[in-house]
Amino acid sequence: MKFKSSLIVLLLVWSIMPLLWQLYTSFSTDQALVTPFAELSERWTLDHYRNVISSDPPFFMYLANSFFVGIISTLLTLFVALPAAYSISKLSRKTSNYVRVILVACALFPYVLLFLSLLELARTFSLGNNLIALALPYTALSQPLAVLLLSSAFVSLPSELDDAARVEGLSLIKRFRWIYIPLLSPAIASTAILIFLFSWNEYPIALTWISDNSKLTLPVAMARIAGSSIHSVPYGAYAAATVLGAIPLILLVIVFQKPIVSGLTSGAIKG
Amino acid sequence: MMFSRRKFSSLLLGLICLVALISTTPALVASQIETISILMPAPFADSTVKLVDNFNTLYKNQIHLNVIRGPRQTESMSDLAISSLLLGDTPFDGLLMDITWLPKYARAGWLEGLDPYFDETDIADLASGAEKGNDFEGTLYRWPLVADMGLLFWRTDLMNTPPKTPSELVSISNQLQTQGKVPWGYVWQGRQYEGLSCVYLEMIDGFGGDWFDVNNQSLGLNEVPGVEAAQWLTDLIETGISPRAVTTFAEPEALRNFQSGESAFMRNWPYAWAELQKQDSPVRGKIGISTMVSLPGVEPASTLGSWGFTLLRGSNHKDAVIKAIKYLTSAEAQRVMFIEHGYTPTVKALYEDLELIQDYPHLALLSRALNNAVLRPETPIYAQISDVLQRSLSASLTGEEKPKLSMNRADRSSEQILVAAGGTPS
Amino acid sequence: MILIALLLPSIIFLGIVFGFPLLSYLWLSLHANSVLTSFRSIFNGWANWNRFIHDYRYWQDFLQTIRFSVASVGIELLLGLIIALILHRPMKFRGWIRSSSLIPWALPTTVMALGWRWIFNSPFGPIDQFTTALGAQSLNILGNPSTAWIATVYSDVWKTTPFVALILLAGLQSIPADLYEACRLEGASASSCFRRITLPLLMPYIGLAAMFRLAQAFGVFDLIQVMTGGGPASSTESIALYAYLNALRFLDFGYGATIIIGSFILLSILVASCWFFVHLFNRKRSIMITK
Repeated sequence: MKFKSSLIVLLLVWSIMPLLWQLYTSFSTDQALVTPFAELSERWTLDHYRNVISSDPPFFMYLANSFFVGIISTLLTLFVALPAAYSISKLSRKTSNYVRVILVACALFPYVLLFLSLLELARTFSLGNNLIALALPYTALSQPLAVLLLSSAFVSLPSELDDAARVEGLSLIKRFRWIYIPLLSPAIASTAILIFLFSWNEYPIALTWISDNSKLTLPVAMARIAGSSIHSVPYGAYAAATVLGAIPLILLVIVFQKPIVSGLTSGAIKG
Repeated sequence: MMFSRRKFSSLLLGLICLVALISTTPALVASQIETISILMPAPFADSTVKLVDNFNTLYKNQIHLNVIRGPRQTESMSDLAISSLLLGDTPFDGLLMDITWLPKYARAGWLEGLDPYFDETDIADLASGAEKGNDFEGTLYRWPLVADMGLLFWRTDLMNTPPKTPSELVSISNQLQTQGKVPWGYVWQGRQYEGLSCVYLEMIDGFGGDWFDVNNQSLGLNEVPGVEAAQWLTDLIETGISPRAVTTFAEPEALRNFQSGESAFMRNWPYAWAELQKQDSPVRGKIGISTMVSLPGVEPASTLGSWGFTLLRGSNHKDAVIKAIKYLTSAEAQRVMFIEHGYTPTVKALYEDLELIQDYPHLALLSRALNNAVLRPETPIYAQISDVLQRSLSASLTGEEKPKLSMNRADRSSEQILVAAGGTPS
Repeated sequence: MILIALLLPSIIFLGIVFGFPLLSYLWLSLHANSVLTSFRSIFNGWANWNRFIHDYRYWQDFLQTIRFSVASVGIELLLGLIIALILHRPMKFRGWIRSSSLIPWALPTTVMALGWRWIFNSPFGPIDQFTTALGAQSLNILGNPSTAWIATVYSDVWKTTPFVALILLAGLQSIPADLYEACRLEGASASSCFRRITLPLLMPYIGLAAMFRLAQAFGVFDLIQVMTGGGPASSTESIALYAYLNALRFLDFGYGATIIIGSFILLSILVASCWFFVHLFNRKRSIMITK
């Protein structure tokens, strides 16, 4: 038992340590970072946070951009994937298996490799520097996972329910609104969170589609901050930005832990 | 008391109009001032702060110049600019550009030609050599701000005159090393990066060859001078004239080595002169500079690295930007850049300024080196062929491959790149 | 046929984002499209492919990417299994432990990549400080071409092990507990029961996680670009980064497309062989188990 709990402690330390180190760095003065073991009168500072928050454009703008794109992607994905999942759940076993294989293949695909054509699309149709347009590729890339998760959820619905509703004369839209969506809300929640996380963390497409400083999403903004400084030890500022960038996600994970886990595991089982 | 719906909406409309009017008025007033922006790498953004302030004061109420401070890493700055330009967005009006990027940006159609704004007298005012690398395919695109040339630094206390040919350099080094005066003969930039391409260019030209002929788009890497250049550099390491560690040296490492008196010769850029003459430098007052060595009868070559201003085609304030460019590159501005920051001037007037020459005698040598400046291959695909050269030459320098083989490989790869990218080599 | 109508938007999205690129890359790879051609496509046959086959930089990056993927995924599977075993039994605070261990996976890679750059920084980062305090030399992990890739593997392992652990945990929880109990009651040791019962039943999950992670690792981009930029001396450069550089730095879209489609073909071959071996392994296993 002791062995196990020490393993658990090790696991926690290993997971959280780098973040704690960033936290420590973000509050240390530049001098303290360069001479860590020396005795210093000025060890702690809020300057890094001040610099990051008051930068131009303000750091919170990036969080807002990411949030905006995340919400739109999630809503659009669900809007497109729910009907598709319903369709697939009605297909014969054999066909739906084929479809599943294709979807799994798409989900496996390293989407980074798609950046070049997507850039071409952005250039041709002037979709660049537009946060709403950015939701389009995100929606497309989230389709495989969303459709897989939601179609299994649909399949798990008892068919009598569907038949009864049809007998009642409810149209498809009404059935969706009053029966399917409420019943599937846990699965929808899991899918939504996973889509939101994907869109928040996505980098290569946001990197190539957005160049305007004020429209950057968080990951791209962080990468830019990485290259911008003239100082050789700007790590205090990086650390502050890292902490600020990480906080929303940590909150998200803690609050939505259950849906995330159930989404991933059911995805794995069905896959 | 209830407002009727109509009354409420008309009140709201009136309020909106009022707010709109108030908020646009300052804009109407402000639109008299043209705000322009120029993207510069961080070091230049910092060193031109005073000049920019002066400009803004001079053109108060007319033009306001905003310097956008790009990343310190110059490649990253180009990446940043390109990512905007590819999307058809022009977030700034002007760009301070490295000499090797010009063909790429020009061919991509992102730059505005500067011929209407600079005439022959302006060009005649440039120091000889500074006018190179500013135009592409017949059009002027860039106006130089600072120049940089590869120089051979030598120890005046160890010899009377600097070597003129490669074999002289080798024999002097050998002599000094066997006499125990210095542990190493010659340090240079041998790491696998752009600096290595600069070093190689000086040698291939010094051996009478040509890396890339722009006119017939042909490569000369695997011809006799190209191979000889690679062989000579490799031999320096093999015979102990240059330390093995030179394959990890960039400019700072070579400078450190030379500054501590560990070698007789160094190849570096003009900035090193100021560093070497600092109070705490062990070799202060014992340095001379010269042009790089070359075969007898061949002009010595000095790789030109310079930064200049370009105007982006999508800019709406072209005239204002030109005014800014002319101000920042004027003789007075260049004097400030030279005296306070050690940047090499591009304007002829400064090289003929007797007072300045008195205070800084090495100016005459800089002028000569600038005159001998040579350009790295002027092609939009320079970055790729430079990368190929760096890799192949590096393999040679570290002893992994014979120079002849590596130069053959470099030539072949460069040709494949050229063909695949749509060029037509001969 | 309402069903088809419901399915259509999804198919359109997928077609545009997966189908169109692959076709367009194939087409582009047969053309010269770069800054030299002013971004127009000019047919030039096999020139791009000829360059691709002889491209030392690509093949070096290919090997580096494989090295990264195999090391990363291998370690993740091992650690993931251990973590899954730890989290398998109910315990106090299991929810909290699970979410804390999920945090690395949820953070954007680029956000932590900067953090890693600092942690591995020489000489000021904590690792170097630690080694110099002990009297050893400063390690300069990120500055040395032979060790920089190890730092990237470590960062990737840190980030994605929770994901693998979660999948394996799902697998563990799908195994009926009585099978394991029965084995123990027979008097066999824990490790032998693990080997004979748990592991074989876990194989599909391990296989899935391996395949998924290998495919993702093959396309590693975010981590490399921000943490090392591909350096030092291109020793950590991945094929995705090389494709990106060709497109956005060298402005050679034809060749960028060639690299991507070429890599896709190679990846498909690798995945297919993996799948084939797993299939073979499963068949052998099931034959052995039934015996």
